[in-house]
Amino acid sequence: MIPQLVTVRWRRPTGHRRRAWIPVVPVALVLSPLLLLAVLGGVVACLVFRISPTGALVGVARVLWALPGTRFEMEYGRTAVLVSVR
Amino acid sequence: MNEERRQILQMLAENRITADEAERLLDAVGRELPEPGPGGAKARPKYLRVIMNSEEGDEGPSKINIRVPLRLLRAGVRLASLMPPVAITRANEELARAGVPIDLAELKPQQLEELVDALDELTFDLDDPRNTMRVFCE
Repeated sequence: MIPQLVTVRWRRPTGHRRRAWIPVVPVALVLSPLLLLAVLGGVVACLVFRISPTGALVGVARVLWALPGTRFEMEYGRTAVLVSVR
Repeated sequence: MNEERRQILQMLAENRITADEAERLLDAVGRELPEPGPGGAKARPKYLRVIMNSEEGDEGPSKINIRVPLRLLRAGVRLASLMPPVAITRANEELARAGVPIDLAELKPQQLEELVDALDELTFDLDDPRNTMRVFCE
């Protein structure tokens, strides 16, 4: 399943906290024109570097499909960052 | 790895018991472990975890907690297999320059997949008075 929600949370050294929930599908739909351009650019780059565009697209899709469950959390003193993909 | 096994291996590492004694203790611990469930086979781990706690640092203690799905590693390995030969040659040159004479062209996707599969068994523990680090699959 593709990622549904990306949670980003961070705390600055000043103690200021921020939290963002990014719904992936709606954001991808909004940015779809840009995504289409990016895909076209990727295909051209694949052809220039003699990589199979189909293989590359399948590979990127596999990475996207495998992202849910990823979590990265780091705290350094009073600074903290959390990125979670669900 | 459960706590009893860890303690036995710790005693062996500290030369408090001999290898034979450690083997007997591990056998005994293995017999005490409950039988696997009705499914029989042990569930395969899904995630690679990296946990680090450090008391050192200018700004206070630091902590890292990373969870990476093993599927993501496999997908990344497959994607890396698409690297063009020019990039592989350049990467080989840089690796050789850094003192790591590895030929990436010799690494086949199947071998890398086997490497990721073998991560299931990985457990890495680092204990230091002020730092701890654990790498394991769950």
